[in-house]
Amino acid sequence: MNKQLGFFIDAKRCIGCFTCAMACKNLYHQELGVIWRYVYDLKTEVYPHRERAFYSLACNHCENPTCSNVCPVKAYYKRAKDGIVVHEQDKCIGCGNCIRSCPYGAPRHNPVLRKAEKCSFCWERIDSGLKPACVLSCPVDALELIDLSTYENPNVVQYPQGFPRYTKLNPSVRFRVAETPTIIRRKRL
Amino acid sequence: MDQNINDQAKMPLSCSMSRRKFLNCLAAAGVLTALPGGLLKPMTASADLNFEDGYQIFRNACPRNCYDTCSIKTYVRDGVIKYIEGAPESSFTHGGLCVKGYAYTRRPYSPDRVKYPMIQDKRGSGNWRRISWDEALDIIARKFIEINEKDGSMLGLALTKYSGNFGITNYAVEGMMTSLGYTSRLVGTPCWPAGIDAQNYDLGDMWCNDPEDMVNANYIILWGANPAWNSVHTMKYIYAAQERGAKVVCIDPVFTQTAAKADLYWEVETSMDGALALGMARHILDKGLYDRDWVMQNSIGFNDFARYLRNEITVEWAAEKSGIPALQIARVAEEFATAKPATIWIGYGMQRHVNGGASVRSIDALVAMTGNVGKVGGGARYGHLYTWGFNYHALLQPRPEGSVGFLGAEGPLGDFDFSGDKVDEYSDRPMNMNKTAEEILTVDDPPVRVLWVSCKNPLSQDFDRNKMVEAFKKPELIVSVEQFFTETVELSDIVLPVTTLFEEWTVNASYWHYWLSINEQAIKPMFEARSNTEIAAALSRKMNELKPGSCTYPTEIDTKEWMIKEFNQGIYDLFQIQSWEDLRDGPVKAKMHPASWQDLEFGTPSGKYEFKSDLCAEHGHQALPEFKEGRKPYDKLRLLTPHTKFGIHSQFVNLDWMEEYNPKPFCYLNPIAARERGIKDGDMVRVFNKIGEVRLEVKLTDVVPPDVVMMYTAWFRNLDYNCQNLVDDTSSDMGAYKTGAPGVAIHGQFADVARV
Repeated sequence: MNKQLGFFIDAKRCIGCFTCAMACKNLYHQELGVIWRYVYDLKTEVYPHRERAFYSLACNHCENPTCSNVCPVKAYYKRAKDGIVVHEQDKCIGCGNCIRSCPYGAPRHNPVLRKAEKCSFCWERIDSGLKPACVLSCPVDALELIDLSTYENPNVVQYPQGFPRYTKLNPSVRFRVAETPTIIRRKRL
Repeated sequence: MDQNINDQAKMPLSCSMSRRKFLNCLAAAGVLTALPGGLLKPMTASADLNFEDGYQIFRNACPRNCYDTCSIKTYVRDGVIKYIEGAPESSFTHGGLCVKGYAYTRRPYSPDRVKYPMIQDKRGSGNWRRISWDEALDIIARKFIEINEKDGSMLGLALTKYSGNFGITNYAVEGMMTSLGYTSRLVGTPCWPAGIDAQNYDLGDMWCNDPEDMVNANYIILWGANPAWNSVHTMKYIYAAQERGAKVVCIDPVFTQTAAKADLYWEVETSMDGALALGMARHILDKGLYDRDWVMQNSIGFNDFARYLRNEITVEWAAEKSGIPALQIARVAEEFATAKPATIWIGYGMQRHVNGGASVRSIDALVAMTGNVGKVGGGARYGHLYTWGFNYHALLQPRPEGSVGFLGAEGPLGDFDFSGDKVDEYSDRPMNMNKTAEEILTVDDPPVRVLWVSCKNPLSQDFDRNKMVEAFKKPELIVSVEQFFTETVELSDIVLPVTTLFEEWTVNASYWHYWLSINEQAIKPMFEARSNTEIAAALSRKMNELKPGSCTYPTEIDTKEWMIKEFNQGIYDLFQIQSWEDLRDGPVKAKMHPASWQDLEFGTPSGKYEFKSDLCAEHGHQALPEFKEGRKPYDKLRLLTPHTKFGIHSQFVNLDWMEEYNPKPFCYLNPIAARERGIKDGDMVRVFNKIGEVRLEVKLTDVVPPDVVMMYTAWFRNLDYNCQNLVDDTSSDMGAYKTGAPGVAIHGQFADVARV
């Protein structure tokens, strides 16, 4: 397998604090409403207590990226050296194909430029030997950069409950699921 | 560990030494015209980004009232902040900030900042007019001179300031008041005073272990603390201990985010923490699991405490009071007593009750009787001020010649009062900050004629808001020093634009961890913002121009010079640095032993841990950490108004960047309580009680028990939500001893909910 960078999302450690999301905004100053990374709280069918377990998600830099496949002007390319999916906004004509097609909702519409944009995996930082802003920011190391060509961890899953399963795309993310403590409720008198 | 350094560390504020003595012995802008939003251009991912060159890097520190006091690295290009990161040099901050911290990149450039001094035609009218600094200061100075002539003193001028900005140079505000004469001061703290007093009675001071030392604990009880939201950087140490095999127990009325990460969660009955701790203590006593040697050598009053436990407390009684089954109490008590070292983190929420101080004393006793005080990986962790030994020279201004003041007041002016013990004939007039509205309405001879607000937002943070609105009608002049048009500014006459952390020089310490950070000026102040230090100097200039000698504050100030003046040999020795300049290379950690009280020389009158405190009894409480009842319910549901993860009280929630993730407020209700009231998820509801009401959307969830309604403290810039509509100003039991006024029973509140 070629080198493929991805995100390890450790829901067991994640405290849903949104630091990663704000760290991204702090670096790229996206237009209001344009969100590259968001912290999704899990429905109670997935985790029994509301807003107490989360998946921090951005672009999954898929092995077979839909966005790139549907782009009429080749504004997307996948880097051979590490598998990062790059969107070149200069080439984008704002047709919206990628926004409509990505099942993970990664590409977003920039209402000012009338073009698409998405998480870049901070490839410029990667090329400078730095971690992505979101990964660097996480106070509990619940978001990590991994190389799927060498990553082996028996405790991880690619499609945990609550994360859409699109095996053809092969998203470059891995998860560890959240756990619940022993809960002693008050005796009601 | 160098013994001197430890002594050095013990110096600040220990009660055996006067604060004045402590101070003495340690004492051997340009305006940008661009649109604010326009400076923060979105970067496209294909833009020519590099992360190496072309940036000026500055050191900053988050000055908010928060455990973490993060060290920040600020990247500036062309005079504009491009992005920020956590300082990698601090093992605590560890290269990252939090959701609030990263929003700072937006804050100085926020379009709705207060940009110029402004005057409002009529309080609350919203008819603001821009005026010059000179005009604003002229109006204020003339008013000061007028009230002084009318009353023969400056007591008609009241200051309300709290923790909106902990940069040390902000003591210029108190210094400015002192330099005008004897004034009125709103004293005390709504935050943590009951627990401070409790720890002072038990141990002789508030002094916590290094949070980074939590990794050494074999057992951790997080008691009413929610670090997953309020101290995100401490979580990694808790996780590390957990991975080593330590058990983490979370005790809270709410299933918090922290509770979700614990091994065991106890849904305690709100305000019954003391009963629970005493039940555990009784079981430990019965099983003989207490540390007999430690107790014999290092404490007084243990036999009296043991007798009290045997006569008055049973595990079954504790179970009934707290709602936690007796078997659970017994099991965790045994585990805690035998898992040395074991530690308890005492949160601030659990002491915001009419019995809060008593509860903290019970928990302290549990940690002490198991021999966990003074140990690495142990400790009753609450907070500390051992790294705060600055000069506070801005504070120590002389009064003008012939000043007349208040007779008969003594004691501290707050939790962060470093002004020293005064021996003047007169003093400032203290007013209870936790009853701000009541005090403004009733204080007389002279009444509050002018109110000065800085580093504080009373309308969002203080209690009984309806009464507060009435109180704000009374003064003849209200001046707010602010960054944003808060609810308090709305009811002020004049607003003065104040700098953000990036626009001023200061220095910051934490009340939790042991790091020290410099805060450099990274950008020129936006628009006409000035720091509190500069405001004080400008006001002094104006006062002396109109009436020479009426204000002693220096009229020409270099803020960087003033920051440098805060340092002294004591700070240099404690942090083992040569000069403040060393902090420009990154934050530095105090060279203190990681375990507080490790030399077992306590600051109490006896010099030992006091299970029985005569001082506490002298102050009108119980000598022993006896059980004290909570507040009696005055409505159907308990109302909890804790902190949100998206803000610090009324700060951050108003930023447009934060609104992306937290656009509006919710209240949280258990489905059982909702069913009884015919309420469905997402309904608009009315939460109401005898004080007032709030209307907002409801989320149904089992994270709150069926007898609780919960909402978070916040200020949304475009919504009239305010949880203080429902919180009255009932005092907590302790706080007066060390902070000048009792605390407030923020969580001893009740309400009901109905569909709108």
